[in-house]
Amino acid sequence: MKVGIARAFLYYKYGHLWETFFKELGIDVVISPETNKETLKNGTKYSIDESCLSSKIYMGHIYYLIDKCDYIFVPRIATLQNNNMVCTKFHAAYDLVNNTFKDKNIKLLDYNVDYRKNQTEFLAFLNMGKKLKKKKFEIVRAYYLAKQAEKKVQGVALLEQEQILKTKGKLKILIVAHPYNVYDKYIGEPILKYLEELDCVPIIADVAPKAEAIKKSKEISPTLPWLYNKELLGTIELFKKDIDGVILMTSFPCGPDSLVNEIILRRFKDKPIINLILDEQEGTAGRETRIESFIDIIKLKKDDVNGKEKN
Amino acid sequence: MKKAYLGVDIGSISTKGVILDEDNNILASKYIWTEGNPIGAVKNLIGELEQQIDTSKIKIVSIGTTGSARKLIGVVLNASVVKNEITAHAIGTTSIYPDVRTIFEIGGQDSKIILIEDGIVVDYAMNTLCAAGTGSFLSSQAKRLGLEVEEFGELALKSKKPTNIAARCTVFAESDLVHKAQIGHKKEDIVAGLCKAVVTNYLNNVGKGKKIMAPIVFQGGVSKNVGVIKSFEDITGQKVLVDPNSHLMGAIGVAILARKSGQEIEFDFNIANIEFKTKGVECHKCANNCEIICIYRGKYLIDAWGNKCDNGAIPIKNH
Repeated sequence: MKVGIARAFLYYKYGHLWETFFKELGIDVVISPETNKETLKNGTKYSIDESCLSSKIYMGHIYYLIDKCDYIFVPRIATLQNNNMVCTKFHAAYDLVNNTFKDKNIKLLDYNVDYRKNQTEFLAFLNMGKKLKKKKFEIVRAYYLAKQAEKKVQGVALLEQEQILKTKGKLKILIVAHPYNVYDKYIGEPILKYLEELDCVPIIADVAPKAEAIKKSKEISPTLPWLYNKELLGTIELFKKDIDGVILMTSFPCGPDSLVNEIILRRFKDKPIINLILDEQEGTAGRETRIESFIDIIKLKKDDVNGKEKN
Repeated sequence: MKKAYLGVDIGSISTKGVILDEDNNILASKYIWTEGNPIGAVKNLIGELEQQIDTSKIKIVSIGTTGSARKLIGVVLNASVVKNEITAHAIGTTSIYPDVRTIFEIGGQDSKIILIEDGIVVDYAMNTLCAAGTGSFLSSQAKRLGLEVEEFGELALKSKKPTNIAARCTVFAESDLVHKAQIGHKKEDIVAGLCKAVVTNYLNNVGKGKKIMAPIVFQGGVSKNVGVIKSFEDITGQKVLVDPNSHLMGAIGVAILARKSGQEIEFDFNIANIEFKTKGVECHKCANNCEIICIYRGKYLIDAWGNKCDNGAIPIKNH
């Protein structure tokens, strides 16, 4: 049996968990390839105009998986622990995919996480495992191993992040973006590459001690509903001493980000900050102008502090 | 031979060039339309600049380019410095107004605000995706009203009561404008309303949350519009300075950067007679089908870009 997973959206958060779970159950996993122009084109075709860029990319990945696996894994995540909410897109993804590709005879594997209705992550895996006709002890074992694998990967990433934050001699720019935007080959990676070309070190805000970050986020906004935004918000506070500037990278027209970025721009005054919006436009001139001038300004300021010649 | 520095600011609408001496004095300057042909525009520009100076006494030793076609023109002119517009404008403006605190800039497609303290840029903002309230908005509305953009500002000054126009979005502004005209608002009031709308839109979007301190310098193509200048002064309550050379600030800034770079190159005004060509090729090595732009001097490939990954990289030989 083969299960398809879209390399988009929450794959970049829970990919290791999901993949390990299926593999431990002896199920083959097909992951759609990195996003390219074709993915976005198909995704746009199967989305409504108002959808965000990331959601269009998600639909493009789902489209790729049709006929390439027995089941497509489409998680539905409504609420998480401690009354934490996520973007409605993650709540709606299952139904969106199901309705959009109704005539393509796809079989979806549902995975329901809704803590408000006592539907925990563990129960979500348990129900999914049962649908795949696996025995309970097998499912529990696979879940346990998947959690171990996830923890290990996150631990390694955190250690690496600590090292990167200690980098000396280069400008360190914190990229505040959802992982599915910043790690996406087509929309996020070119920006990371461009920053490296400008001799900067991009620091991905998604790699951070989450519990601490959430606590910190309350200092900026105590009432924010979305978990993933809280994590990012708190990370800015956590890392601010080690960084030279912040880039808020958002896919157009992301609902949660449009509100949270406003809060950040108004309340975070410690480091230079810009808002970068990713959309379907292919020209890169506007984007590069924004990034290059932002970096220039940070460099000019630093030179001034160090008493070098003013420009 | 006196050393001189060439700065070229090549935007979507217009191309500006200056030649500066070592003390930042303008030896020659020119402003022409880009007309969708940046290479052609730069050749004309170079020809025009050559006529303004005595080439037996002045020698261009370094070149800088800025504006949205800076990369392309940088390759064509073999520039020492290729810099974004924001930095170039800030440097150009501070060289003329050393105490400037705020630069408003509204161009053909974008608008920005630059905040300066002690001659150093401390903050800036730029419009995001939308071109509402920029020069192209004004010129399309002028066309709709049957006016030339050039007469727009003067007409706005005649108005005693500017019409309120919603300028948050060009599409809605247009329907609002048609509606106001249909119910009998005077043309000058509508025009003044548009100027005011551009300013409020700018201050609410680009200038949002920024502390606007005097002296204020206003530049970019729209700074030629006296109606917009007046609206800025009315709303900010401050004097807004517009330099007669405001359109050249980017070019001046990048010429200064070229001088500071210390890199000297050989430059020949004869460039107008050399053929530069660009060719777009699609790379079919993966699903991205990147369009790669190749730039040729005569028959030699001198640069190429546009590939998203290394598979599409085109090797450049040195000629």
